This record gives sequence, C-alpha cells and structure tokens, in this order.
Amino acid sequence: MRISYLFIPLLLAIVSPSLTYAQTIEYKIGSTGFPSTIRVAIRENNTFGEPDPRGRIIYVTTVNFDQYCRDVLPNEWFPTWHLAALEAGAIAIKMFGWYHHLHPVTVDGFTFDVDNTVNFQLYRALSDQEKTDFAYQNTRNLAYVKPDQTIFELNYRAGYENNANWQYRNAQKMSQWGSQYWANLGKTPLEILNFYYQNRALTTIPNVGRG
Amino acid sequence: MITLRHITSYFTLISLVFGSITPTVSLAKEPSLPKVVAQPFGYLRVKVVDGRTFHPLNHAQVVLVETGERYRTDQRGLTPWIKAPVLRSARFSRLVDELHGQLSLIAYKTGYRDSIHLGVRMNEGERSKVTIWQYQIERLRDTRVEPILFQEPYHRLWLIKLADHFRTKTELGEGYERPD
Repeated sequence: MRISYLFIPLLLAIVSPSLTYAQTIEYKIGSTGFPSTIRVAIRENNTFGEPDPRGRIIYVTTVNFDQYCRDVLPNEWFPTWHLAALEAGAIAIKMFGWYHHLHPVTVDGFTFDVDNTVNFQLYRALSDQEKTDFAYQNTRNLAYVKPDQTIFELNYRAGYENNANWQYRNAQKMSQWGSQYWANLGKTPLEILNFYYQNRALTTIPNVGRG
Repeated sequence: MITLRHITSYFTLISLVFGSITPTVSLAKEPSLPKVVAQPFGYLRVKVVDGRTFHPLNHAQVVLVETGERYRTDQRGLTPWIKAPVLRSARFSRLVDELHGQLSLIAYKTGYRDSIHLGVRMNEGERSKVTIWQYQIERLRDTRVEPILFQEPYHRLWLIKLADHFRTKTELGEGYERPD
C-alpha cells in the first residue's frame, strides 16, 4: 500500500507535462487560418419552443463561419444600435467563435465548437439583418488579440443600459449596453474594445477581406 | 329673510361638500389603461423557404396579420419590402420600454403546411428581414395537417432588463456587479 502511494508523485510527474501542454496551447493570427466553418451543437427546445441551455444536444450542424457570425450578431447585440457598437460586437462575436473553433469540446458523445444557446452565443439560423451584416462585413478582416497575436476568448455580458459599466473593465468582458453607451458618445469600435479589454491589440487577418 | 350672509354661507357649504367629494370621485374613475398605438413604420422583407431543404419557395402567399395585406414571394422566395407598422405591446409600457415592436405573419402555399410566425421584430425606420419555414405535406405521413407556429422571442437584452426591473438587492441573478 505504501509502495503504491510512492508511485503517485511519479505518475503525476509523467502525466502533468502533457496536461499542461494541452491546456496552454495557443493559436496566433498568421499561424492559424481563418475558419471556414464552425460546428454548432443544437440543443433541444424547452416546452415553449426556446432553445434550452441545459437541454439535450439533438445534433451538430456545420455552419459557414461568416454566416454563423452574421446569425449571432443580431441576437446578441441589438440591430438598431449605433454602428460603432455593432462593429465592436461583430469583432467580439467573431473572436469568441474563432477561439472556440480552436478549442472544441465533447459533451454526451457530441464533439462541437459552440452550441446555439447562451452557453456560448445565441445562434438562430437565417436571422441575420442588414445593419448587423454591414457591421460584420466592415470588420471581417480585423482581429482583436493579445499583443503577441494570440487568439483569446473575447467574452461579453449585457450589463446595464445608459451606463459605461465600469465593473466589466479588466474582467475580460465587454458590456453590450456599455458598447452602445460609448458609441453614442462618439467612441470608435477600437476605443470601445480597448476600454473593456486591457493590453490587447487590433490586427488585420492575413488573406481575409472585408467581405 | 335671506340675507347676503345666508347666501355666502350656503355657497361655502356647497363648495365644502363638493370639495370633499371630488377626491373620492376622481379615485373612483376607471384607471387610464395603456393603449396600443401604431408607431411610425419600419420596413419588412419576408423570405419563405422549404423547411427541410432551405430552398426558396416561389409564389407563396404571405399575410401581414395586423394590416391584412397580402404579398407574394418571387423566385428567390422574397416578398417586396413591406412598409409595416411598429406595434409595441402596451403591457410593458410602464415598466421597461420594449426594444422592438412585434408583428404577425402567415405563409400559405399549396402542398405545404401553413406557417404562422409571431413576434416578428420591427423598429421605427429600420429594415428587418425574417425567414419563414414551410414544411411540405407528405400524404402518407401527415395525417393531421395543422398550421405550424414559430414564436419569435423578445430580444435577450430586453428580457434581462425586464428581470432587472423587479430584482431586489438580495436577488443577485447573474451578479452584474461582479462579472468575474
């Protein structure tokens, strides 16, 4: 019994490096291509027909990545908002999707990048709108990354209306209402992103056009 | 003998009586109920597709329920741009301003189940697009053919606002003050 305990540190020493490597693998702009598709897990609806974040996964569908972003943006940001807020949102949605495309998960036997609920981003097929499409196309060639070009999970939450939502600053999360607040005050999409995400940089994605 | 003093006292008494009644009368009035008012218009374009193949459906009929107007889809499955009212529910007007109005559509096409699409989001002066799925009737499998309902929900940002409106300090919910 005592001998078996002695093996535990040894086993950990052997296993740890591989685990550490798996967790810290980083993808950078330039060394990883722009996604052409994304795997979306579709969860079952609740009784009244709304996708249930805790519902079973029914199937996984492969969606064109651009179309995915266009079908998320009007459901996450509000389509009539200021263009600068929508463009900041378009970058956030794209980078969030891209990060998870690079870090797929397996749940209940299904391997996927994102699901269609607020577990990831709210996705509704064919729900894109003209104004949000315009914002996405305007920023399609832009990535918001760490200074060394590493792609990170650019996260966001609703926050409060008519408020800068300072509490989100440095929390690696943009406030959606905050983005509209700053846009109404004349801030650019980059200034909005820089307010919520510290020490990050805007860069262009090689070989990707504005759409 | 009725003197000026008597008349003055009489009117004073009358004014006192009515003065005391008036508040009761105003309280007994029916409360002013919120009304649904048609706001200025937005623009809507409907696309009708086959629910299984996603192919556009030509010559589908689309009815905008609130106006009763009828539109026909072209080869791309699209109606023309429709000038449509922005109708916000009065139920919430005193609580949280709705972020969008809502409209109702019905799509008809021979050989397909009717599709009823409720809650189409509309905003003043803005162009909105909506896709309606219609499912082909399969004679041997579809024994009971009834309309299919698609209920478009309120935008999640508005739902969060609504929940926040009634939230007390002890009901933290997601905990916006601590986004970590």
